[in-house]
Amino acid sequence: MDADQVAIRVRGVSHEFGRPGEPHYVRALQETSLEVVGGELLCLIGPSGCGKSTLLNVMGGLLAPTAGTVEVGALSVRGPMPQEIAYVFQENALFPWSTVVDNIKVGMVFQGVPAREREARARKALQNVSLADFAEHYPGQLSGGMRQRAALARALALDTGILLMDEPFGALDEQTRMILGEDLSALLASERKTIVFVTHSLGEAVFLADRIAVFSARPGTIKATIAIGEPHPRRPAFMTSAKFHRLRDELYSLLHDEMRKTLSAMQGGAGGGEEARP
Amino acid sequence: MSKNSDAAARERLVARAAQGSFLAGLVVLWYLATNAWDVSPLLLPKPQAVMRELGSVLRSGEFVGDLRITLGELGAAFAISATGGLVLGYCVSQSRYWTRVLEPLLSAVYAIPIILFLPLYVLFFGLGPASKIALGATISFFPIALSTVAGFASVEPIYVTAARSMGCSSYQLFRWVLLPAALPVILTGLRMGFTVALLAILGSETISSVAGLGHRIVSLGENMHMARMFAYILFVVAIAVSLNAVVSALELRGRRTY
Amino acid sequence: MPTLDPHPPGLLILRSPAAARLGVIAVLLGTWEIAAGWFVDKMFLSPPSQVFGSLDVVLRTPGVTEALKLTFSQIGAAFTISVAVGLAVGLALGFHRFSHRSLLPIVLLLYGIPQVTILPLFILYFGIGSASKIAFGVSHGIFPIVLTTAAGAQNIKPILLLSARSMGASSAQIFRWVVFPHMIPSFFAGMRLGMSGVLLGVLLAELYVSQAGIGYFTTLFTQSLDPTKLLGLVSLLAAMAIALNELVRRAETRFSRFRSV
Repeated sequence: MDADQVAIRVRGVSHEFGRPGEPHYVRALQETSLEVVGGELLCLIGPSGCGKSTLLNVMGGLLAPTAGTVEVGALSVRGPMPQEIAYVFQENALFPWSTVVDNIKVGMVFQGVPAREREARARKALQNVSLADFAEHYPGQLSGGMRQRAALARALALDTGILLMDEPFGALDEQTRMILGEDLSALLASERKTIVFVTHSLGEAVFLADRIAVFSARPGTIKATIAIGEPHPRRPAFMTSAKFHRLRDELYSLLHDEMRKTLSAMQGGAGGGEEARP
Repeated sequence: MSKNSDAAARERLVARAAQGSFLAGLVVLWYLATNAWDVSPLLLPKPQAVMRELGSVLRSGEFVGDLRITLGELGAAFAISATGGLVLGYCVSQSRYWTRVLEPLLSAVYAIPIILFLPLYVLFFGLGPASKIALGATISFFPIALSTVAGFASVEPIYVTAARSMGCSSYQLFRWVLLPAALPVILTGLRMGFTVALLAILGSETISSVAGLGHRIVSLGENMHMARMFAYILFVVAIAVSLNAVVSALELRGRRTY
Repeated sequence: MPTLDPHPPGLLILRSPAAARLGVIAVLLGTWEIAAGWFVDKMFLSPPSQVFGSLDVVLRTPGVTEALKLTFSQIGAAFTISVAVGLAVGLALGFHRFSHRSLLPIVLLLYGIPQVTILPLFILYFGIGSASKIAFGVSHGIFPIVLTTAAGAQNIKPILLLSARSMGASSAQIFRWVVFPHMIPSFFAGMRLGMSGVLLGVLLAELYVSQAGIGYFTTLFTQSLDPTKLLGLVSLLAAMAIALNELVRRAETRFSRFRSV
């Protein structure tokens, strides 16, 4: 994917779960449009329930939106597109009954990679995430951070142009998150993938993203976009720079009102709370 | 702490010694009762006699015919119930609706002692192996079907989502995700089905049959060949315990990576 | 993401799982009715309509109601003995750590033996009357009760006992207020399994040899090639078994609501 070309084009996507009047009806996402530039890391951030995960699932073809279209390159997204898009989930989506390397190979089986290529690509992906020594381990034997590395390796081995990541570091402690964030940034510098990254963490968003799309409260839509303008790979020094703090403050002020709105909606018993997942 | 593990090891040793002496004590009691205390050999044969008969049975190969019949019935019954249970269990598990409808029904039927229907099976299939196979298959069907439903229903949705996002086909989903995820529970169900089938077959051979190990024990008892009867009982118990041990070991092996 | 619609399209009445279950049973009975009527030799399988009609005849056959009562009382006796003895043994095994570690494996070993092979021995020792049925029932029902009671007694958190003692409770008080309530759920679970075991044991023994119990009549109806009456009798027994199981299960649910601390 060349830079400056649009990798994903989202046009007027909105989504509702259930039908109006039903008890579990939820308007998850308001009309939203977005263009993801090729080779960039775009963060989606917003309060709980704002629809960012819903938008990610729509982009990846895991969810058919109630309205609107998504295009990846020249193709219209109508279902999962394993050749173009790879996923990294927040929860542990590695299969516990297979070793790490087998997990990666199975992904390639699904995608349709010929058998003779799988071993080499799996090993290379493990190298890229520094897990080569743990190839024969089972996910249950690894720490949370290592499991997410393995999940990332599985996505990388699929060699897609686009990577969609749904709060991949959400379940990890802060120190692991920082390290993994640096590694992701380094990876981006070398691999030229387009990444869309959902997160709750402001620091993570500013540190990793080329652009940040800020969501409003549920039913959400993109309220503003912030450009970071810092080259990859991001150095740890960036995190303590004045530029970082300025951007983080800007992000915070954009989000603060939305977070307050979400909180009072939840306390009002509107049944908000957890991000609606398909 | 090495002190704790020493104490634990000692405790285990003492426990083993207690078990050993308990069992040894029983054997001693048996010996005394029949040899020294005048318990009638028609009630309780002497252990030496039982051992002699056991040796004779094993050496002569007399048991082979009955063993073949019993194991044949077991194999056939289990093959039928496993196939039926796995297939039906999988089909039901794929629909949340049908799972909710059928699972309680299956559980309810399993709660009845199905061996109750033995006379019906004998009426329908006769006294031969067919009725035993049919009854064994019926009884062992339920734990297999129920655990298959439970196993497939308990697959974490995230695994299915992840697999679908990577472009898996329905067959690939089944082979690489659903089956391995459901396997531990299914293996337990298969083990239970096997155990229950064995009991059902031995039971129906005891109650109404013309052949097989269960029948052999009954006819020996009717003819008051007590020592030989006890020998066969020991033999059958040993076989049953070993079969169950093998099946349990297989189950554990299949679950090892979880 | 293809998800399964919890409300499938179709007849409104089928939306309730309970109604659907009745529907499944109705379909099965209907198929049976048709099969028995058209395909199968009437000698071996009677249609459910006939069976239902025959229940009356079965009950009026001399000796059948007495036999049912007898079997019921055998089950009751076996269950009572299993519970009484099982509770005592289970508590004894559960409380003393030593006996738990050493004797419990023996109990497990005995539990693993296919008891049906020694059924003829039970008859030889206890006779062909009720005693052997009760004994065989006890021998099946007692094990789950012992095992669950022992397990329940074993896994009381030591912290609970400690805090009770620190408040000055005597041993009797500790038993009454801490141990006993803690064990109730396991005890009832054991009783449920015990009831299944007793049912199995008594019925197996009855089917093997019986002078006046229902086993006598199952043999009679089998030998006189009367599938209708046989089906009727077996259905009655199945109904009794379901009722008893349900009774104990409800007791378990009710008493397990007293969740121990």
